[in-house]
Amino acid sequence: MSLVDIAQEFSPRYERHRDDLVSIDVRGLERLLGSPRAIAYELRREAADRGVRVHVAVAGTRMAALVLALVRPGVTVVDRGEEAVALAPVPIGVLERVLEQTDDHDDQPQSSQSSQRNLGQKSSASSSSAPRQARGIPSLPRDAVSVLQQWGIRTLGELAALPAADLAARLGPQGLVCQAVARGEDLGPLVPTLADERFESSIELEWPIEGFEPLSFVLTRLLEPISTRLERRDCGAAVLHVFLRLVTGDQHARRLELPAPLRDVRTLRALALIDLESHPPPAAIDAVTVVIDPTPGRVLQHTLFARGSTGSPRPERVEGRAHPTPDALSTLLARLGALVGQDRIGAPATVDSYRPGAFAMKPFAIDHDLDNHRRDRRARRESFVEDSAISASSAVNVVAALRRCRQPVPARVVVAGGRPVRVTTDRPSYAGGAVLASAGPWRTSGNWWKQSSVASRQSVVGVRNQSAVDGRPATVGAELSTGNGRLSTAWDRDEWDVALADEAVYRIFHDRETDGWCIDAIVD
Amino acid sequence: MPLVQTTRAGLEALLRVRQLDRTLSSLPPLDPYDEYAVGATGVTTLDAIVGGGFPRGQLSEITGARSSGRASLVLRLLASATARGELVALVDALDMLDVESASAAGVALDRLLWIRGDVVAHPGLCHDINPRAMERAIRALSLVLTAGHFGLVVFDAGEAPARALARLPFTTWLRLQRMVEGCQTICVLVGSEPMARSAAGITVQVRRAEGRAEGRAEGRGQRGEGMAEGRERGTRGATFSGRSFEGFEIEARVVRASARTREDASAALVTRAVPHV
Repeated sequence: MSLVDIAQEFSPRYERHRDDLVSIDVRGLERLLGSPRAIAYELRREAADRGVRVHVAVAGTRMAALVLALVRPGVTVVDRGEEAVALAPVPIGVLERVLEQTDDHDDQPQSSQSSQRNLGQKSSASSSSAPRQARGIPSLPRDAVSVLQQWGIRTLGELAALPAADLAARLGPQGLVCQAVARGEDLGPLVPTLADERFESSIELEWPIEGFEPLSFVLTRLLEPISTRLERRDCGAAVLHVFLRLVTGDQHARRLELPAPLRDVRTLRALALIDLESHPPPAAIDAVTVVIDPTPGRVLQHTLFARGSTGSPRPERVEGRAHPTPDALSTLLARLGALVGQDRIGAPATVDSYRPGAFAMKPFAIDHDLDNHRRDRRARRESFVEDSAISASSAVNVVAALRRCRQPVPARVVVAGGRPVRVTTDRPSYAGGAVLASAGPWRTSGNWWKQSSVASRQSVVGVRNQSAVDGRPATVGAELSTGNGRLSTAWDRDEWDVALADEAVYRIFHDRETDGWCIDAIVD
Repeated sequence: MPLVQTTRAGLEALLRVRQLDRTLSSLPPLDPYDEYAVGATGVTTLDAIVGGGFPRGQLSEITGARSSGRASLVLRLLASATARGELVALVDALDMLDVESASAAGVALDRLLWIRGDVVAHPGLCHDINPRAMERAIRALSLVLTAGHFGLVVFDAGEAPARALARLPFTTWLRLQRMVEGCQTICVLVGSEPMARSAAGITVQVRRAEGRAEGRAEGRGQRGEGMAEGRERGTRGATFSGRSFEGFEIEARVVRASARTREDASAALVTRAVPHV
């Protein structure tokens, strides 16, 4: 049981400074619990019932209550306006202790610490995630405290009595902060700590459901209130959890990480259903629970002239073109992933490798940076103008593309004079024929230094053919993968570009390890 | 008779008011510089014969045999679309895209949604693989078109077995045509034979040219050097020089077009091969 749990039961307006230091606004509790002293004892008793020993201080200001809770054991109650008097005998070293409290906190377990309560009758401050600095407590200067001690200041009362202007002249703003603490003045308002809101909704079904159509209605009913709450908190869903309790007693849980913060019910429902279609529950559903991990919502500023998703088909001329919305793209990618597999969709990327045909797949970006792209676009447009000028004059502007065979096609190659003269395959679609022209060889190898890759190469089987021309046997190459996922395997090959009698141009290679030939790509 | 003339004049006036007095043969030409009407390829000679570029909101086709330059033309289309700032999608039915070629062609890869199909050229005993895979590829194409706002969507079935394509119902293409109509998307089907196209779409047939394009050696840098010697002949436009394959010449011909575009117009293009590493 933490102090925060106890504070929540007394007032919704509380501020958690640390795990062992909480400020509570007790205004309005008089009618319920009685005088401030009664409130303090009630707090202490409640904490004691839960096994937590706390010190409680009630004061008119949050700072005074905080300091008194730190220095005085048990219950301390200060009347309104008497804060400076109550703080006057407190040793000046408490300022350091306030700092030490924040530093010691990380080193001591919570159970071993004496808990301190600060009951402010006014408000106080709130939350940050700084690990070493207590929330709502100003950063008190260490040097200023030691300087004050060197001046002979022993108590907070003596510090409070110093002329503020002279103190500021000597210590700067830090001196004024120390004096405000000594006088028990609040340096900031109380910012209530908000309990972590849980975006969860569940429903127990009267009758078990099977199939996705009835589940769609259930999901809509569960997601709508969550979406409304997300909108009020200006949040979106980062992760969508769907828990299905089955009639068998098992639980079917699915977790969807969303590419962009979403809170549109239709989109979330569609994504959940698509995922469940790919991973259907094994039995009928008894209960449905939806939990959303929130994240701050996206801030989008659309251009004034760009056509929206429901715009007219012919917009005004604009600088940029409209793109699919992140919601639409997320749904599209989820649908495509369910259809063809998540590993088969994305944006291609080149890799730093000499391996022929090597590539990588990246997730397709949901949000494209339009500003950056406009700059890129300007540069590309200029280069395209140059290209167009070239194309107009010489008609040279197109790259001869390759079509890669992810699984190279084993081929029979007749070699004469060190060059391939005939290429045939067993596959009807690759008729092959005599080589009309050839270019090569281009030798490339890599990853031969990797032991594992050498071992994997040994599993590659090359089938020797019977014929031999010019001292070099023609062979049928084994299946070699050059696609993604085989980047760590070794390769050692001689590549040729050949134009065959079937009027096609191929890129073939001779695998030097297995002495096999394969068609690697088609020039198209 | 006067009554008839009066009625005809009134009818013509009414048609003019309703803008129904135009026939397909009298449609105004598309503005070749209007990137909201057409998507230019960036190749001047090709854009000239297709009326400024491939029309948006229509189903167009690029057809040709193997090694005819289909993929090269597709990469050119993708590059020019991404250069305009558009998102593009490629439904690669046989998963044959060469990423290095795409990068060399100038395609902004981060703006390309690549959907890798799993149609296999040789299914062996699993005869049902290809029809199912082709149906999945068509469904993926439908999803992309439905999402909208892609500048260019290419369905590449250039090396797909003819039987796999033939088993698709013809209504498939009509459905796709309806999906793309009215959108800003250029949808291009790539195959060895014409599959379908919408009324205002175009079909460009590419093939390797026998002749040489004029001025090819200009602007090609060091790869242009030495082409005059050692060039192989009889390879239908493919140029081999010593140890390197230089590229090939393409002839693109508009075989079917709308009223706005002239049929049988052709353009010559020259491709340059990506150098070996």
